[in-house]
Amino acid sequence: MAEFYDAQLGSLSHTLFNTALVAYLVSMVGYFFRMAYTRVAADGSSVSTTVGRRIGQAATALALAGAAVHLASIVLRGVAADRVPWANMYEYSSALALLAVLVGLVVLQRRLGLGHLMGFVLALSIVTMAIGLMLYTDPGPVVPSLQSYWIQIHVTAAMVASSIFMVAFAATALYLVKDTAERRVAARSGSVYGGSTVGAASVTSEADGQPDDRLDGDADEARYASPLAQRQVLSPVLFPLVPFAVVLAFVLVVWRAPVAALLAASVAALVGILTWYAVPHLPPAATLDTVAYRTVAFGFPIWTFAVIAGAIWAEEAWGRFWGWDPKETGSFFTWVLYAGYLHARATHGWRGRRAAWIGVLAFVALMVTYYAVNLFVVGLHSYAGV
Amino acid sequence: MTETIERDSAPPAGQPGPGPRLPQILGPIETAQWLWRRLRRMSTALWLLFGLAAASVVATFIPQEPVIPTTVESWRAGIEGPGPEVAAAFDALSLFDVYGSWWFMTVVVLLFVSLTGCLLPRWRAFVRSVRRQPVKGRRLDELSNAVAYHSTRDPEAALAAVDEVLRRRRFRRRAVSADATESGDAQIAAERGHAREGGSLVFHSAFYVLLVGILVAQSFGFIGQVNVAEGQTFTDTRISYDLAEPGPLFGLDAHRGFSVRLDDFDVGWFPDGTPERFVSTVTVLEDGQELRTEEVEVNHRLEHAGMNVYQMRFGMAPLLTVSSGDTMLYEDQLTLSQADADTWSGVAKVSVADPQIALEVLLVPSFAVEDGEVINRGPAPDEPRLFANLWVGDLGLERPVPSSEFDREGGERVDAVELGEGETAEILDGAIEVGFSELTMWSGFQVGHQPGRSILLASGVLVLAGLIPSLYAYRRRVWAEARPTPEGSRVVLAGVALHRKDAFDDEYAALADDVAQALGAEQRPVEPGEATVEPGDVRSEAEEPTR
Ligand code: HEM
Repeated sequence: MAEFYDAQLGSLSHTLFNTALVAYLVSMVGYFFRMAYTRVAADGSSVSTTVGRRIGQAATALALAGAAVHLASIVLRGVAADRVPWANMYEYSSALALLAVLVGLVVLQRRLGLGHLMGFVLALSIVTMAIGLMLYTDPGPVVPSLQSYWIQIHVTAAMVASSIFMVAFAATALYLVKDTAERRVAARSGSVYGGSTVGAASVTSEADGQPDDRLDGDADEARYASPLAQRQVLSPVLFPLVPFAVVLAFVLVVWRAPVAALLAASVAALVGILTWYAVPHLPPAATLDTVAYRTVAFGFPIWTFAVIAGAIWAEEAWGRFWGWDPKETGSFFTWVLYAGYLHARATHGWRGRRAAWIGVLAFVALMVTYYAVNLFVVGLHSYAGV
Repeated sequence: MTETIERDSAPPAGQPGPGPRLPQILGPIETAQWLWRRLRRMSTALWLLFGLAAASVVATFIPQEPVIPTTVESWRAGIEGPGPEVAAAFDALSLFDVYGSWWFMTVVVLLFVSLTGCLLPRWRAFVRSVRRQPVKGRRLDELSNAVAYHSTRDPEAALAAVDEVLRRRRFRRRAVSADATESGDAQIAAERGHAREGGSLVFHSAFYVLLVGILVAQSFGFIGQVNVAEGQTFTDTRISYDLAEPGPLFGLDAHRGFSVRLDDFDVGWFPDGTPERFVSTVTVLEDGQELRTEEVEVNHRLEHAGMNVYQMRFGMAPLLTVSSGDTMLYEDQLTLSQADADTWSGVAKVSVADPQIALEVLLVPSFAVEDGEVINRGPAPDEPRLFANLWVGDLGLERPVPSSEFDREGGERVDAVELGEGETAEILDGAIEVGFSELTMWSGFQVGHQPGRSILLASGVLVLAGLIPSLYAYRRRVWAEARPTPEGSRVVLAGVALHRKDAFDDEYAALADDVAQALGAEQRPVEPGEATVEPGDVRSEAEEPTR
């Protein structure tokens, strides 16, 4: 039999992966600088200083260059292994990170004009790539059940949807932070505050045939509070501490690697404190909430399609559409939670923070489905290996 | 049945305002109405969705009996998992079979009842609103999205041009004659975006189709598993399957009775020892007649007479003989299963009568000796070597245990032998001869009858076809009015968004540009009207029924 895989190409691909990772890191720092030089007015419009704009442009250029190198890495990996380059967890993490960067650049930065939030998306991508590094394996072959085009469709759609959900998660988490700040500032200044999206604008309209507690239309009314005061109402200790503890625990439990855990946790803590610092520079909570909703609404049909394609593949390969194996169960769980998020956004008394928490939970479910199920639980899908 | 009225928001329409919160006894009809109203609420649906989600978390982390029964067994026995007491508690709540449990069924049934409660009124309202003509607009000048054009065409021609633009943008249009409008000018009332609610309804209704598909598949379906060695045949009858799971409405006589012969089995390996590709060449026979020969592999099934044959497992099946003098005790292809990465094992039940005899077999596919130790060079059977132990005694072979097990305690290992392919050897001082004539393969198939497939596929298509417009279609209303002027006409174009108002400004600007082009006239802001109105207040008959 011929060579197992092309080792030279494989290692070149890995070098490019590392290069992209460094580019993203520097770009992320650039985006955070840009944010620090950006002022957000109460109506959500933002202005950057000249320095901020320059740094922002450099960061964008670097992110684009990183994405190009990253793409080359993935393509080379495919050539080296002579198959599609997303068949194990390292490859999946790599492709997911690239897609998230692209979705961030195209959707967040270009379409929605919220480029200064890219730092957070890059941070998520970097974490994903770091996890990928911990799971690195040489490019290997795929088992026969994966040699079907339905599985390619399924995996590709799932990855695209996941990357969109990743951007949605960044927006959701930032919304929760910003909303907390806005509320607390409002509470301090003694004004009544109904929250950005649960205010007077979203009172139920009794439309014909609609459930009693359904909301209609988009809420755009919001009251914004003094920007800088927002930082003072949030604890500068909890913001780095909570991500530190969560990431530390997660990595320790999953990989039992104390050094890696400390490293990853420190990065998480850094992002946490940056988030704290960034609060006054974030768009208003209502904007973030809208971004979160629209990205979830973008990803949800794709995720739905991915689940359906997976069922069709399972029927072709195993003779059943659905067998409740852990991976299938996990993706169903994720799907139900995102459906719950979309519902909650339209339900009286749920819109706003409660809905956002469902969104956070849904994203956690997505990550658990991918990582934890593959690592801990056995099922037909564990073919993908580590 | 008695219930306490729960008022967590305003009292339902038609009832007096909030009085003292006294518990009220509800009659059966009121109770039904209360339940119906409860089930129609979005928050009820939300809680039921969370119920589904909770069930699937449990099922992700607790092994499920239908998926991995062996793990469940070892949880029950306390070999794995949190211990037998906890496992017993899990069993009481049927947590080892979440999706077959009564409480999961309850959530699903409630969800469908709730869905029905939601959908019936929504469908009715939707049909009514689609039938209703686009509503007339009033005081268009005052809408925040409004522009005026001074056209050289007469009102009729100008409106016709606007109508064409709206038609191209797939608006539903209605011409309102001048004497029917408030302003006294002829008007076009247009709207679009019913696809939003329509899509949402299709999406939600698709779950009934899904339910029907699942019920049909489960009731009339069949799944069986069977292992066959090369050269052997299995027949589609209930007893020939090693494992059969018929649906309640798939009777014994529903089997087709055709046969499938495994002519050949081929497997190629990756260097790391995992199979690259495995293919069974099979021939379908009916009444002894050969019908066709086909290759079955993963992702490529055999379809015959409504049954699908899937390639699942495979393994080695050495052709073994055991004889004593002139009597042949055993001659069969013994199905071996993979014991570990390097070896295959199985047990041949040589004699079930007293004394029972069993041949315990271990096969190394690519045998070699390195530094005096037996090693396996690879997964492919290049140099198969068979190690056999002969057991005699009360081995429990008469019991229906899995074919690879027997009772070691009751018997005794009397001799051992090592054979290459094609070799025979005598054991027990020549009393018994064991032969390994040939190494063949066996192939494991899943055979299924899967009705309701097209229903399930249709539900998937409907889910997507409904979901996309329900998320991306937005309702918009647009009006155009034309008033005669000495040069021709003054056209006012105005619009409102009922969803995604943030996106409407751009859409409206594009529409206004198109209309300007169609009229050959420049657009300009409307002159401030006489009436004073709050900005954003929509002057239309938006939610009023026409009659
Ligand atoms: C089978 C379980 C259900 C699932 C998976 C589900 C899922 C969804 C999803 C994903 C959406 C957002 C997309 C859209 O607007 O169409 C949605 C919207 C909606 N659902 Fe459900 N749903 C379910 C059951 C229900 C039930 C029982 C009700 C009745 C209370 C309901 C009422 C609604 C309504 C009124 C909307 C429109 C909300 C809006 O304005 O966007 N759904 N549903």
